[in-house]
Amino acid sequence: MSRRAALLLTLALVAGTVAPAQAYLKLGARVGTRTLTLKWPAMPIRYFVTDRGVPGVTSLQLQQTVSKAFATWDAVPTAAVSSQFVGFTGAGPRGGDGITVIGFDNRPELDRTLGATSFLVDTISGDIVEADIFLNSAFAWSVAAQGDPGGFDLESIALHEIGHLHGLAHSALGETELRAGGRRVLAAEAVMFPIAFSPGSIALRSLRADDIAGISDLYPAAGFSRQTGSISGTVTKNATGVLGAHIVAFNPRTGKLVGGFSLQNDGTFVIAGLEPGPQVLRVEPLDDADIDSFLDLTLGVDVDFRVKFYEKLVVVPRGGGATRIVLKVLPK
Amino acid sequence: MTPGAWVTRRWCGAAAAALALVTLPPAAAAAQPVRPSPAPQLVKPSPAPHAGSVEVSGGVVFTGRMDLGARDAEETRNINTGSGPFALFSSASSVPAAPAAVVRAGVYLSRALAVEGGLQYGRARLVSALSGDAEQAPSLSAEETLTRYLIEGTVVVNLTPLSFGGGRGVPFLSGGGGYLRELHEENALIATGREYHAGAGVKFWMSRSAPHLGLRADVGVSMRSGGIDLTSTRRTLPTAAVSLVYLF
Repeated sequence: MSRRAALLLTLALVAGTVAPAQAYLKLGARVGTRTLTLKWPAMPIRYFVTDRGVPGVTSLQLQQTVSKAFATWDAVPTAAVSSQFVGFTGAGPRGGDGITVIGFDNRPELDRTLGATSFLVDTISGDIVEADIFLNSAFAWSVAAQGDPGGFDLESIALHEIGHLHGLAHSALGETELRAGGRRVLAAEAVMFPIAFSPGSIALRSLRADDIAGISDLYPAAGFSRQTGSISGTVTKNATGVLGAHIVAFNPRTGKLVGGFSLQNDGTFVIAGLEPGPQVLRVEPLDDADIDSFLDLTLGVDVDFRVKFYEKLVVVPRGGGATRIVLKVLPK
Repeated sequence: MTPGAWVTRRWCGAAAAALALVTLPPAAAAAQPVRPSPAPQLVKPSPAPHAGSVEVSGGVVFTGRMDLGARDAEETRNINTGSGPFALFSSASSVPAAPAAVVRAGVYLSRALAVEGGLQYGRARLVSALSGDAEQAPSLSAEETLTRYLIEGTVVVNLTPLSFGGGRGVPFLSGGGGYLRELHEENALIATGREYHAGAGVKFWMSRSAPHLGLRADVGVSMRSGGIDLTSTRRTLPTAAVSLVYLF
């Protein structure tokens, strides 16, 4: 079988662009009429770190921080992911060289991008061949244990980008406010939220339920699908499907929040990796970040509807799914 | 009182008096003029259980409201945007009071002591009241229907010395434990747990035309762990039951 590779760029954190997502949290690549889920075909993920530091962060600190962020993902018990630091390299985090590299790169023209992940993928299978993370040295960075208001927390940002590197797209579990100069994040409950916390914050050095559900859905460990369940259904407005609605499942027993999107014109959605038990469902428009942080703008995302709760508690069965949920929303 | 014999009515304490007044023929309210005392009445006795007697009952039990606690849907707050977690919305969950059918079968080990097994079956609602949405989603109560089964074993101590109404009313104490099985809507998930209960009540045997038939009223507390419990703590719920009883 002949294979051809394509370079896909995912910009993360600020004004990012992701490929159209095939499922609620996964990165996807559209090839012709098909949409491929991006995924590593084998573990461990072998990566290099550039041997260049930036003011306040040595190359060794960069490597230690990146390894710690990888270890955070590797530690998810319900996901079968692992990583291996291979060594330092003089190569930059640029695609097409056959190795996965993480490092700083000076990109002052990307004045709203802290970091980005690019992929070389097999466009037949969707397998990730190579991924590279650049961290923009045009910004100030910090590796201080308790954070430093003078720089963005490297571990938090690396954790986010490594989520992309695994194949996860952005989560919409966050709240923002518009201010002069752009959006400010008020809160987030996912490392994969597209906009970073302010310099000095170290609050997103640990994964949240939404991140864990996503990585486990993409790389399920043995027993994951038997121990968790899913919710699926449609979001409709005036009896027509709503594309791009953000649906949040809240577990009133644990307080965990996991989100998903309606990704088809008929408004269908699936949220997988949920703990069994009753869940509250809430649906909202994608209005807490630029839409293209989540989905391809050409899809025609509908944000003209009101936030609402679903009238029933939805019980997620163990190893199964609650299906045919219909969330009827009203125009604003 | 001798089983199977005709006996005269006797009074057993002040509490029993009130009930007896209801069941006795009206007595002369005034003693003027003085009339001869009526002859002692002979009434058909209450059934007197003995070791080996079997009793069955069926009725309705009401279980009190179970508060499952409140929890906010919290997000991690960015620094310099306020204090504490950011509440996306709030939830407060409960299972409102609900009736259930109950059937019991018991056997007397002695006149005072009996053991019985029972089954409760009922439907209840699990309700989460949702409010305080950060983006003004209208508040509402999201619900689902639960199906509850409780298989219970109980020791019953009949307080025969405190019987009243000519032995037709018998107070009792009870206590025991059970296996709780609660099914979420459409049997999507099963939650099991343990139950312990204690209470008191009274059995009142019917008239002479149906001497083996009676009414039973129970009140008590039910202590439950497991089952539908969003906070994983033990719950103590009030219960009250009314049943028809038949003694073989």
